[in-house]
Amino acid sequence: MSRDLALVWVAEAAVFALVIAGILAERPWALGAAGGALAAAGALVRWAPGLRTALARAFARRRGAALGCGVVLALALPLALRSSPYWTFVATLALLYVTIGQGLNLQIGTAGVINLAGAAFAGLGGYSVGLLTVAAGWPSWLAVLVGPWVAVTVGAILFVPILKTRGHYLALVTIAFVFIFNILMNNLEFTGGPQGIKNIPTLHLFGYAFTTRPVLAGVELPAHANFYYAALVVAGLTTWVLRRLHDSWLGLALNTLRDDEIAARCSGVAVARGKLLAFSIGNFFIGLGGAVYAVIVGFVSPPDFDFGYSLVMLSVIIIGGVDSIPGVILGACLLVPLPERFRFLHEYRLLLYGVVIVVMLLYRPRGLWPAQVRRYR
Amino acid sequence: MSAAGALLDVRGLTVRFGGLVALDGVDVAVAEGETVGVIGPNGSGKTTLFNALTGLYAPAGGEIVFRGRRLAGLEAHAIARLGIARTFQASRLCLDLSVFDNILIGMHAGRRTGLVDFVVRRRRFLGEIRAALERASHLLALFNRDLPSRGFERVGQLPQIDRRRVEICRALAAAPTLLLLDEPSAGMNPEETAELMRDLRIVREEMPGLSVVIIEHDMFVIEGVSQRVVAFNYGRKIAEGSFAAVAAHGEVRAAYLGTEAVGA
Repeated sequence: MSRDLALVWVAEAAVFALVIAGILAERPWALGAAGGALAAAGALVRWAPGLRTALARAFARRRGAALGCGVVLALALPLALRSSPYWTFVATLALLYVTIGQGLNLQIGTAGVINLAGAAFAGLGGYSVGLLTVAAGWPSWLAVLVGPWVAVTVGAILFVPILKTRGHYLALVTIAFVFIFNILMNNLEFTGGPQGIKNIPTLHLFGYAFTTRPVLAGVELPAHANFYYAALVVAGLTTWVLRRLHDSWLGLALNTLRDDEIAARCSGVAVARGKLLAFSIGNFFIGLGGAVYAVIVGFVSPPDFDFGYSLVMLSVIIIGGVDSIPGVILGACLLVPLPERFRFLHEYRLLLYGVVIVVMLLYRPRGLWPAQVRRYR
Repeated sequence: MSAAGALLDVRGLTVRFGGLVALDGVDVAVAEGETVGVIGPNGSGKTTLFNALTGLYAPAGGEIVFRGRRLAGLEAHAIARLGIARTFQASRLCLDLSVFDNILIGMHAGRRTGLVDFVVRRRRFLGEIRAALERASHLLALFNRDLPSRGFERVGQLPQIDRRRVEICRALAAAPTLLLLDEPSAGMNPEETAELMRDLRIVREEMPGLSVVIIEHDMFVIEGVSQRVVAFNYGRKIAEGSFAAVAAHGEVRAAYLGTEAVGA
């Protein structure tokens, strides 16, 4: 059994070390070496059946330890990235995508409510924070708590009539909604038009300003590490809540109405109510991601929330695994940092997402980390 | 039989799709604990009756009274919660979900825990779900002792006959007072049909108070399980009574064999 424990820790530490090496590699050959080592490790596990079953068994037996090790490594990440505020920020962004992805996954993955307005609902959270702090003078933490409710309320009011329709109407209307949201933000005066809202005050919690550089274990970290830890708490809580909702009567009812609406209705599931609940809970966490984004970056503007970002959010789910909670984490941790690492491909970013999605749907439609059956643990 | 004491009383039920009259003034009554067989050629309105009873179709006329309550205007999920459960002619299981999940959804309406229990008071929820899983295992074991151990497999991995059983378990999981079975033997070979008849007898023994309405094309099944038979043709009820009486009825024979054969 202790061999299992060692295997879990060694495997997670090895992946962590290689990823950090890849991120911090400055020269192409170093990046290539780190990437090659990761690929080689992956191939080794894939093609060596003994190692593969040993790893699978170790992770199955030591679920708690595997999770604990992951948390420790996530906490240690800013230490490893301390030389680079930029990569600390990218890691923070990935955590916000975990939060948003979990919310969107409840809608798209669990309930089959195809919401392509993720960017707009994140924008509602972000703009609410901007308006509440800059125009109304609220403290940032209060605005972050209220922002998500704006996303929930607007979503519920606009979409109650559409949620009752079947098929692809909702998807089409949500696409329209992102564009309307963008046009409104660009043209309304009180949202700052194309300039957006600037100088959103940073977070202050119990007298601690998030712009001070934290010191952890005697090491001074970049100020962005504060936001990293804040985003880690938010993403962790979101994942915890949504995992429990997924493995509950709610998740079961949503899965059933996604797969067969008639069977769900004849089993006593109130379909319209279930969809609205999934849509609202999802929008809460999408809005929360947008709200935290606003206080981290300090300003919001229309291009931060355009349709392209809806597609990125969708890609996180498809690549990670539709209806899979660990899949969303994996998807966000791949899709956010990778394009940053390969900046020279930036122009082709959306094109690449498109290609990746098509390849995934063709060869691995359940995603990299497919959803497992509910075990009610 | 008298309609006054009936569990289900359907009077003058009419369902129209545009100009097509799918059900034309149908009267059917089902008593508590009774099994009624429904026969008739394809397109005679049998499944339409089930769809109207379960609230999937809105009737154009007539009324449905279930346990003394009129069902007009109620949505499908509300009717299901009153105690009407059904199966479908073409299986409507969620093939990607586990066997247990497909049965648990039948108990969803009777749940006593809510959102707060799911997230914060997890122990309360897990206690309830454990009892529900045990009941699902019990239901599965009635039909096939090996099925409970496959409860966490995806239902798509089961053979056809076991899928049909899971669907019946889902309906029974809701603890209904009226069970509607829409052609359970569809697509089965004779051995599987024999097993199905055994399964239906088990249901009868386990739940003696349960009323059942069963649509079937297989006359052996109808004869074997139903106490009373109703025959449909072109959306109208053409005969009602014991299996022998309905089978001998001229209009029923004409509907199944064609008028010439009967005339000859």
